[in-house]
Amino acid sequence: MRSWLKMIKELTIRPKGERQIRKSPSYSFDEDMKKPLSGIKVKEILGSSSDVVFREFFIEGKERIPCLLAAVDGMVDKNQLDQFILKPLMVDLAGHSEVTQLTLANVVDRTLQSILPGLEFKKITKMEEAINAILSGDAVIFFGDTTEALVFGARGWPSRGVAEPITESIVKGPREGFSETLRTNTSLLRRKIKHPSLRIISLKLGNLTNTDLVVTYIDKVASPDIVAEVFRRLGTIKMDSMLGNGYIEEMIEDNPYSPFPQIAFTERPDVLAGKLLEGKVGIIVDGTPIVLVVPAIMTQFLNVNEDYYQRAMVAVLSRFVRYLGAFVAMLAPSIYIAVTTFHQEIIPTDLLMSISVGRQGVPLPALLEALTMTVVLEILQEAGLRLPKPIGQTIGIVGALIIGDAAVKAGLVTPLMVIMIGLTAVASYAIPTFDLGLAVRIIRFPFMVLAGFLGFFGVSVGLYVVTIHLLSLRSFGVPYLSPIAPLRIRALLQDTFVRAPWWALKRRPQLIDVEEPRSGKKG
Amino acid sequence: MERISTHQFMTLGAAVLMGTTFLPVASIATGAGGRDGWMSVLPGFAMVIPYSLMVLSLLAQYPNKNLLQISEALLGKWIGKCIGVIYISITGYFGGLLLSQCGDIYERSIMPLTPLWLFYLGGLLLVFYTVSSGVEVFARFSEIVFPMIVIALVLNIGLSIPRMEQGELLPILSEGLKPIFSGAFKIMPFAMEYILFLAGILTFLPNSKKELAQLKNGVWRAVFLVGILDMLVVLIQILVFGPEEVNRLVYGLLVLGKIVEISRTVSGVESLFMGVWLGASVVKISAFFFTVTWGLETVFGFKGVKWNLAVCAVFLGIAFGFVRGHSLFVEITLVDDYLILPFASVWIPILWGVSRWKKGAGVQ
Repeated sequence: MRSWLKMIKELTIRPKGERQIRKSPSYSFDEDMKKPLSGIKVKEILGSSSDVVFREFFIEGKERIPCLLAAVDGMVDKNQLDQFILKPLMVDLAGHSEVTQLTLANVVDRTLQSILPGLEFKKITKMEEAINAILSGDAVIFFGDTTEALVFGARGWPSRGVAEPITESIVKGPREGFSETLRTNTSLLRRKIKHPSLRIISLKLGNLTNTDLVVTYIDKVASPDIVAEVFRRLGTIKMDSMLGNGYIEEMIEDNPYSPFPQIAFTERPDVLAGKLLEGKVGIIVDGTPIVLVVPAIMTQFLNVNEDYYQRAMVAVLSRFVRYLGAFVAMLAPSIYIAVTTFHQEIIPTDLLMSISVGRQGVPLPALLEALTMTVVLEILQEAGLRLPKPIGQTIGIVGALIIGDAAVKAGLVTPLMVIMIGLTAVASYAIPTFDLGLAVRIIRFPFMVLAGFLGFFGVSVGLYVVTIHLLSLRSFGVPYLSPIAPLRIRALLQDTFVRAPWWALKRRPQLIDVEEPRSGKKG
Repeated sequence: MERISTHQFMTLGAAVLMGTTFLPVASIATGAGGRDGWMSVLPGFAMVIPYSLMVLSLLAQYPNKNLLQISEALLGKWIGKCIGVIYISITGYFGGLLLSQCGDIYERSIMPLTPLWLFYLGGLLLVFYTVSSGVEVFARFSEIVFPMIVIALVLNIGLSIPRMEQGELLPILSEGLKPIFSGAFKIMPFAMEYILFLAGILTFLPNSKKELAQLKNGVWRAVFLVGILDMLVVLIQILVFGPEEVNRLVYGLLVLGKIVEISRTVSGVESLFMGVWLGASVVKISAFFFTVTWGLETVFGFKGVKWNLAVCAVFLGIAFGFVRGHSLFVEITLVDDYLILPFASVWIPILWGVSRWKKGAGVQ
């Protein structure tokens, strides 16, 4: 018995030291990274990867200098390598005036200064820089056993190109969207804001993935406190992998347990430019077309970029419809439940009679009826979302028309309930931001339960709980319900529920205490 | 340290001062002042202005301290502690009664079959959440709720205009000015409830010279805004029901909400108004919850979630003690008239007087 216990203990309880650290493969390279830069060592580290190519050649200078060119096949533009490295060093060098003076001691500097014609050359001295450059798609040239090397920025891989974003379609406005390539994205942004104060600061995250990202903002427009906070939070991220914006979003948001999105995202350069001009900060991650924008406030999720391309009157009407849609999507089923279960006095008599007739023979109470229909709606939405477009549409039509109609004919639900849930579904599509739409879908259920048990009292309690929760949220120090609470009247009247005409939008939205004029001067 | 802006102070002050006063104010004003009772509302509320100015002048002299701390500094440790205990007892008891009132109005008006404890629990949940979120969130909450209360009151008043009978007001001042004075005296305790809250929130207020001037302006605005709104509430009820009926109906506004009708189509919308009244109730109860927690922290050094839960338990206990109806209304009036009014109207002037005397005499 004792031996059994001992065996179980050995199998289940690991020694303390072993339990504490689960070493990631990246750590095994740490020692190599600290060693002096050497082409041979790089070949040793990366040589086993079939996609990493090495090209050895010699420069015939004053002495014979062995060279090693390293790059990742598929990530570099081979034509550029041929044209700007191999041809100048192997073919054109013979007739170069400096060729007779080239030695191992001066080859790096002389090559950089007067032999290689490319724009993006950089001298490096650390092993870590060399490895990262190669794995990021640059080419690195090592010269003999010197501890210096040259990095050539020749990144070139197949990419999707600039296309119209699917999630943010627009009627009247630019059609271009971000792609998965970081530099393409920064160039799209730079084309929108041609001003030296636009800052694009590069970072790397993910111990294994070494993902490139940039933090972008407009100097003297963005609050220095917010910018510093962005860098501080990004600096605290310690992860092996960083495969997309979602990783960062969860790591830097203020309240990870809230259903409400606290970081905005966009796929459009014009939207990002607009947000930066409002004093916000963008985070562009390589490998994803989604750009994060901080800080985010609640009303921002209900406003779309088209508001700024349409005339003010049209924009105001659109916003009103969206806000109404969000309200209906969140509360329509619960109000229906509360009214039919507890507060029939609110309903005009004719309508009450009609509802009463419709409910005859329906076996489920209004709460269960609504919950069932909403769950069916959620299933249909989820099923249609990931299917190919034509099938997804079919699912929607089959679900909405056939199942709904069959359920009414079978006497399982009332026609009014089908209308109500259909209205809820349509209204939820009026919410322009996917993340906020999800939050509304989540909180719809507790509202229905509260309405089913406590009528309008329950709905009121739910609404106040959500309000207090929203009031307690902050996004990078900015109150989430700003400019409603804390009240900033100008921002509220200019660009929140309504959008004032452009000639009246003289000041930037007041994110923090300082309110700057849009012209950049105190007005 | 949490801080609220001068604008938030104004809105929060107005929301706390208003609280649920619009429910019983008509009954109380007409009970004391008859058909001229509506004229006593604004003067009754205005009585709070000198007290508020005294409190704010104490803030200028003792920045970042609440009145309990100032009491200890001016009157000595033990007298200060005794005042603190009285303060905690009064505000704690009154907060519990307000929670009871919250359940009572729901049960009376729209949901007579729902168990009372569910209303208490729902209300207390909101209060606890608000208090746990801090003063800043409370101030922002009032920025949202107060405009809703104003809109709901204006709707109630506006939609009742077709039922008005002007003759109910006449003859005006038939019994002289005496009813106005007696009505104002009965309204004063409402305003003194606000002073108790102001005594505690001082530590969260800005205290530069410019901001102090804005705070004083905020008090004036809050008092006049709430005074005028409550006056209109009383006036419309007198015009619709007549003074005797208003006095008999304890919560006349709820009845007014019941009879609201738009074009003979939309009616029975009191359940919608009740949602707003719940918000008002939460603001008022939270204000008293805060005062209790500030008191406990200052006097005994008790703070944290477990003490907040203890205060919740006390509130619930008091709410269950005075279940409903007229006895609850009488109890609230008694606490207002015989505890809050005398305590605040004696405490504040004494503190202010002693501080002025010490300042004049050069005593630190």
